[in-house]
Amino acid sequence: MNWTNILNFSRGPLLHVAMIIFVAGLSYRLVRVLLLGWARDRAKNKGSKLWGVIVNYLKGLFVLPFIPWVRRTFRHNELTFIAGGLFHLSLFLVLVFGTAHILVWKSLWGFGWKGLPTPILAFFSAAGIISMIVLLINRLTHPVLKMLTRFPVWINWLVVFLPMITGFIMARHLWFRYEVIFSLHLISVSLLLIWVPFGRISHFLFYFFSKTIHGAQAGKRAVTP
Amino acid sequence: MKEKTIYEHLREKGLSRRDFMKLCGTIAGMMGLEFVPPVKALGKTLGPSPEEVVAQALKTKPKVPIIWLEFQDCAGCSEAISRSSSPLLSNLVLNDIAIEYHETLMAAAGFQAEKAKEECMKKYFGKYVLVVEGSPTLADDGIYCTVAGKSNLDLLKEAAAGAAAVIATGNCACFGGIPAAHPNPTRAVGVADLIKDKPVVNIPGCPAIPEVTTGTILHFLILGQLPETDQLKRPLPFYGHTVHDHCLRRPFYEAGKFAGSFDDEGARKGYCLYRLGCKGPTTYNACAGLKWERGLSYPVQSGHPCLGCSEPHFWDGGGFYQGQSAPIVRLDKSSTATLVGVGVAAGAALAGLNAVKKSRAKKDLKKDQSQAAGSDPGSKKEG
Ligand code: HEM
Ligand code: HEM
Ligand code: SF4
Repeated sequence: MNWTNILNFSRGPLLHVAMIIFVAGLSYRLVRVLLLGWARDRAKNKGSKLWGVIVNYLKGLFVLPFIPWVRRTFRHNELTFIAGGLFHLSLFLVLVFGTAHILVWKSLWGFGWKGLPTPILAFFSAAGIISMIVLLINRLTHPVLKMLTRFPVWINWLVVFLPMITGFIMARHLWFRYEVIFSLHLISVSLLLIWVPFGRISHFLFYFFSKTIHGAQAGKRAVTP
Repeated sequence: MKEKTIYEHLREKGLSRRDFMKLCGTIAGMMGLEFVPPVKALGKTLGPSPEEVVAQALKTKPKVPIIWLEFQDCAGCSEAISRSSSPLLSNLVLNDIAIEYHETLMAAAGFQAEKAKEECMKKYFGKYVLVVEGSPTLADDGIYCTVAGKSNLDLLKEAAAGAAAVIATGNCACFGGIPAAHPNPTRAVGVADLIKDKPVVNIPGCPAIPEVTTGTILHFLILGQLPETDQLKRPLPFYGHTVHDHCLRRPFYEAGKFAGSFDDEGARKGYCLYRLGCKGPTTYNACAGLKWERGLSYPVQSGHPCLGCSEPHFWDGGGFYQGQSAPIVRLDKSSTATLVGVGVAAGAALAGLNAVKKSRAKKDLKKDQSQAAGSDPGSKKEG
């Protein structure tokens, strides 16, 4: 076995299987959650459901994260709020505007777009990695959080951290031969894809459910979500 | 009778001493001698200059014959050599440092040619260099590639038996190349997969860079051993770096400036070709250093992404114009739909099963409760 073959394996069959598990697994999870059903909301419709949903997204995703001091979660623990936010922002920028990743989207969907300059990406991926380390230390030291953190949560952290760190090292051409670190990046990405349907990282999907339903309920009652 | 040395042979052909020393310098350069410590190779303690090492060897060594076999190939590597940037040098290697048998280039044909080969193999048993171009094929005992009625497997074994070293030139001979592309109907393999008892060196490329092939042959002839190699048996002096390592577009890569198509603004400005599918980052070859046509240019310089032709499986490693990061096997629409279907079906089935279980449990619970309360067991007001 040499690394050229390992790279071919991880770019080929391994990633393929990981994507299969990802797609089938997430569909499975989605149906299970949908079929759980939810309690009938017998409240009278006093406002607009749609308006509630819109306001909920605007506030939750686009406004409040950028003026965090109005939030209790922020005032409770500024560091985790910032680290968590920065991590998600970095992840988003790297996955959507990193040239290598754009080429992945392009191969899946048939079209691509312009990426961000490498130095900017480098800054954000470094920031993302540091944020993740901060979040980890926080989890390891915070007395309550430590008790709340079960085994799968550590796995969540690991399967996101490994692609981040290997991707960063690869893009800077540090220490490893390119095919070695490329293989490691793809193996860790495959681990992530396989793990997502079974763990809490599927929140990137379910977050939008709770946000929508919560917004609709609030809108119906004509209260601000 | 003592055999003539290469030097004597060259002098006889009218080469002056001055030209001879110049030649030695060129040869030293071609062998990548700057990278290989000649001192170590010759077992000497004090290092002479690379030219001196070459001169010394040419003055003391007789011509060593090369037997060049072609299997499943396009003769592109031979073409490249015969038209290489330094035709004088390759002539020298092929004629004066000696080639005895090359099916495509030799004047003899048919039985004559076969006879020449056999005689050479006998006379120089244990001494000659075997160069293989094109892939051996295993399927059905090698009948998909035969020469003079013999299967390529027999030819290879027979020729390798008396070889001092084996040089596989071109991706086909090294890793199976294009004949080995999926589904590899002839079961093409690399030479090193078959020849285990002789030193084998791989000079992959499509074609192999002629100066690298001749340089490696010279290395063996002059130093008496093959150059140091990497994991894939490629000589380190030529395959120690990736195309990306020495690429002249690299600053654009670092800045994140990419050509988006072959004729856009970026392409005109000479931006990096990564988005157009460049395989430079994982491709080990000397293209960016030696270049082609007397150092004139090489694919990436001319505006074409590197295809990765010196790597195993380059033909099946995803599209040539598809980004290197794109998965090799993609999920198309129909397989995605199937997968979603499978997931949905499994989820629905399990949810259904759970619902049935739950309602049974509920019923049982109710039964138990009503029995415990001692009420009329026959009543069925609620289901
Ligand atoms: C199919 C999936 C993926 C492929 C094929 C892929 C491929 C790559 C490649 C080739 C690079 C290096 C680009 C270069 O050399 O300039 C890279 C960088 C990177 N990747 Fe991925 N990647 C994938 C998924 C992911 C995922 C899921 C994550 C994070 C969770 C991730 C995080 C990163 C990071 C942080 C970088 C460094 C970006 C920079 O600093 O410029 N990748 N990826
Ligand atoms: C639209 C996309 C996403 C949204 C809105 C979102 C939102 C959130 C929120 C609100 C939290 C905090 C919840 C908590 O502390 O329990 C969180 C945590 C987390 N998210 Fe996401 N997320 C998204 C996508 C992703 C993705 C794609 C990944 C990984 C690939 C990811 C990885 C994580 C991790 C590892 C944590 C835990 C951080 C910690 O240790 O505190 N998220 N996310
Ligand atoms: S053109 Fe290819 S080899 Fe050159 S810097 Fe870009 S990716 Fe690397």
